[in-house]
Amino acid sequence: MSRIKRFFRTYKPFTRAGVQEMVAYRANFICFFIGEIMSAFIMYFVWKAVFLSSGSKTFMGFTMEDMVVYLFISFLTDYLTYSDGAFAVGEEIVEGSIAMRMIRPCSFEMSFLFQEIGNRLISAAMIFAPMVVGVEIYRYAIAGVVRFHPGYFLIYIASMLIAYMISFYFNVCYGFMAFFFKNLWGTSLIKETLVSFLSGGMIPLAFLPSGLAAVLNFLPFASLRYTPIMIYMGMYSPSEIAWRMGLQVFWLVVMFALSKLIWHSAVKHLSVQGG
Amino acid sequence: MRYIRLHKIFIAQYLKKLMEYKADFLLGAIGLLLTQVFQLAFLGIIFSQIPALIGWSFQEILFIYGFSLIAKTLDHLFTDNLWMVGYRIIRKGEFDKYLTRPINTLYHVIAENFCVDALGEMLTCILLLAYSIPSLDMPFHWYTIPLWIVVAVFATLIYTSLKIMTAAISFWTKASGHITHMLYMTNDFSKYPVSIYNKFVQTVITYVIPFAFTAYFPASYFLTGNNPWFCIGGTVIAGTVLFALALFIWHKGLSAYESAGS
Repeated sequence: MSRIKRFFRTYKPFTRAGVQEMVAYRANFICFFIGEIMSAFIMYFVWKAVFLSSGSKTFMGFTMEDMVVYLFISFLTDYLTYSDGAFAVGEEIVEGSIAMRMIRPCSFEMSFLFQEIGNRLISAAMIFAPMVVGVEIYRYAIAGVVRFHPGYFLIYIASMLIAYMISFYFNVCYGFMAFFFKNLWGTSLIKETLVSFLSGGMIPLAFLPSGLAAVLNFLPFASLRYTPIMIYMGMYSPSEIAWRMGLQVFWLVVMFALSKLIWHSAVKHLSVQGG
Repeated sequence: MRYIRLHKIFIAQYLKKLMEYKADFLLGAIGLLLTQVFQLAFLGIIFSQIPALIGWSFQEILFIYGFSLIAKTLDHLFTDNLWMVGYRIIRKGEFDKYLTRPINTLYHVIAENFCVDALGEMLTCILLLAYSIPSLDMPFHWYTIPLWIVVAVFATLIYTSLKIMTAAISFWTKASGHITHMLYMTNDFSKYPVSIYNKFVQTVITYVIPFAFTAYFPASYFLTGNNPWFCIGGTVIAGTVLFALALFIWHKGLSAYESAGS
């Protein structure tokens, strides 16, 4: 018990720093958020035109209501599970400031993690409730009944937290890779575009050809975004939820192990010059 | 003339740098190309289920989409460094450098970088236009090609002017990258016909942040030949007015500028 206590006491200052950083730059955050959410609104109008043009109430099994929930919850999930704290790993290796992190009596990636959690707490406080409430008001206005399901909502949060951890360790791995490629802008653009598509960010995986969809459903990317959204929407049966979340945990373990492996082999080759 | 000669030197200088970092360029271009490929996959899936999007065929939508990339790419290629003004240059006190040189500051900031990554978008743009144009029955006159060039220039000015204006805000506030980002993101609205949006969005992207004139309006004129004065004239007017305003704000900002450096 005291070990756990000590653990949290060690990392609390990082979380506090993350919170302070986010509070200081909240205007930046809000501007960025507005810029980003516009893409969700563009998609909303595109889908409205699609449903208007098709004359049918459903598009490959999704109603307009489903589509709107999908778009905005997908956006929200992506925003909250996005992780770039470990992105700095590469930069710190280049600059040599990684040495400072290594001599501290605390774990390297945990300090990143807790700092980012502080960051996320503030951004979540600003956007999470307004977006969920907005989506539910829209649903209520369209359907005339309350569609909000507290059970699915709680499982969604649990699934999203696992998704965040997968995202975190995935990006720790990526941070090391980026260091080898040396091009941060180009490789991140490629990574983000790929992850966004493969995790169902642009099109629900159900709309893709069935063979491709089956493969993507199994890959770790679906665990990052598609699984939590589908849970929120109530698209999965209880047994399916259990199996999907099991898969999420499996990928979390894989990413965690992979990041440890890369870290240990990188430390062996690391040489920092000067100081 | 002096500036054209200088520009050649700047680009040559940049290309040398580029040769040293070939992989950087390649990865950036691949990333931009990939973004477009997935967007097109999305359109492909939509059109596999419906014959037309509120009256526009797949080919026409691809044309508008491809057309929207002309100005975006040109702006990206030549003026990418404006982003850095709001993100880094002023905050880090690096702007003083430009003030000590005997050339126009705005010109110097823009000419310093030449963003070849944009070639990834340019490739998509060319492929889309080359694929869609032959199957479309577009009116063609002797003045069509000159008009394309005019539109390309003024539509690019719309992009660049908005970036100059928002970058200039940092002369007062030290950082404005997030404001540039917020306004810049509205350009995505112009990739689709404006008729899919509600009245509010239509008004904003036509009269307030006139990105509709960088893509949909001129593209619809080239597709149908309707409303030349509004579609082409609007692009020219929007480009001119915004550019004049941008220069004005930039010079106002310069006189308010205080270095952040130490």
